[in-house]
Amino acid sequence: MGQRDVERFERIVLPHLDDAYTLARYLLRDEHDAQDAVQDAVLRALRYFEGYRDGDARAWLLAIVRNCCLTWLRKDRARRSAVPLVEQAAAEAIGPRPADALAIERSDRAALERIVAALPTEFREVIVLREVEGLSYREISDVVGAPIGTVMSRLARARKRLAGALGVDAKEAG
Amino acid sequence: MRCADCRESLNALMDGELAPADAAEVREHLSSCADCRREQAVLADVSSTLREGLVRHPAPDVLKARIRSALAQPDAFEPAPPRPRWSWMALAAAGVLLAAASSGITFVATRQAAPPAVAADVLSSHLRALMPGHLTDVASTNLHNVKPWFDGRVDFSPSVPNLDADGFPLVGGRLDYVAGRSVAAVVYARRLHMISVYSWPAGAGAEDSAPVVTDQRGYHLVRWRRAGLEYWAVSDLGRDDLDTFVRAFNASR
Repeated sequence: MGQRDVERFERIVLPHLDDAYTLARYLLRDEHDAQDAVQDAVLRALRYFEGYRDGDARAWLLAIVRNCCLTWLRKDRARRSAVPLVEQAAAEAIGPRPADALAIERSDRAALERIVAALPTEFREVIVLREVEGLSYREISDVVGAPIGTVMSRLARARKRLAGALGVDAKEAG
Repeated sequence: MRCADCRESLNALMDGELAPADAAEVREHLSSCADCRREQAVLADVSSTLREGLVRHPAPDVLKARIRSALAQPDAFEPAPPRPRWSWMALAAAGVLLAAASSGITFVATRQAAPPAVAADVLSSHLRALMPGHLTDVASTNLHNVKPWFDGRVDFSPSVPNLDADGFPLVGGRLDYVAGRSVAAVVYARRLHMISVYSWPAGAGAEDSAPVVTDQRGYHLVRWRRAGLEYWAVSDLGRDDLDTFVRAFNASR
């Protein structure tokens, strides 16, 4: 790969670094892991860049970042299988609480982060891609490698869970 | 339209992903169904809570610096390709030159220029450190975490000055192996660039020496000696900025 290709890569791919890092932060829930995963992903992207034709560079990079993160999570799970991180966080975030405490928590950004962090990865990624990164269903489908119909139903189920965790549905029903 | 069909389309309606004709049908049903409207309000509430509450995370400068350095040296991150033949010949030619040089001027040459083996060690250590997960063993912007970390890991006390005010935030420290011994590596950042500072005892009776700059593969290497320690700084930072850094580093205690 020549200097010119690297320059083209920097021009086309690097503007999406913030999106890449945001996705990695939400998927891995750790800033150092996220940095390593994004760096790994960018270097992979550079290696695959010859195969990249015109198209949605952001979705292309995000798909590589997602794969790196999932690989990371699989390794990580094997490494600290003794600590069921997700379940623990879920219990912490959405354990039974009085309704007014939930209402206070709703304004609390950290609590919201915890609730999102407790979602299973397949729900968390579509939520972040849609609500934080603002991707269309088509783009999300490209990033996660699933049909649009699957993206729609995951998004719907994820929002339903979040409504429960945030106490939004309880309030509406009551 | 039945309520079940409406509910199934509420997400897509909110996300602007329904075809106009379908959207019109769903809206018509909503206008006459309070239950579905309540469901729609719940979804809108969840979505706006997420949009307002979830932060975007801009890529930190340290990450950008690592990526930048990596892109400047893409070969360093590939598995080593078989060397082309000419480089072996170049090496052989260099060997002949070295042999010729050793007749009398070696002493001067090694005092003037940096020992090439050490320079190569320092540079490859810096490049290796830019790979994922290798930058620091102790990642901290606080020198009070970094300095004690070296205790018991190296047999001297490396300088870890706070250079925040000079625009060189501390990134962390790590242990490395250079010139046949364990050395301390302290890492600083400057905007999108990383600077590694290596230090180790210079040996008995070594006198202080002023910074000397050499260039290798687009990187600047600065070598100096102070208070019995040998220092090497390496970075792809511009020459002026690196001079500023070395001055600030040596001005502090």
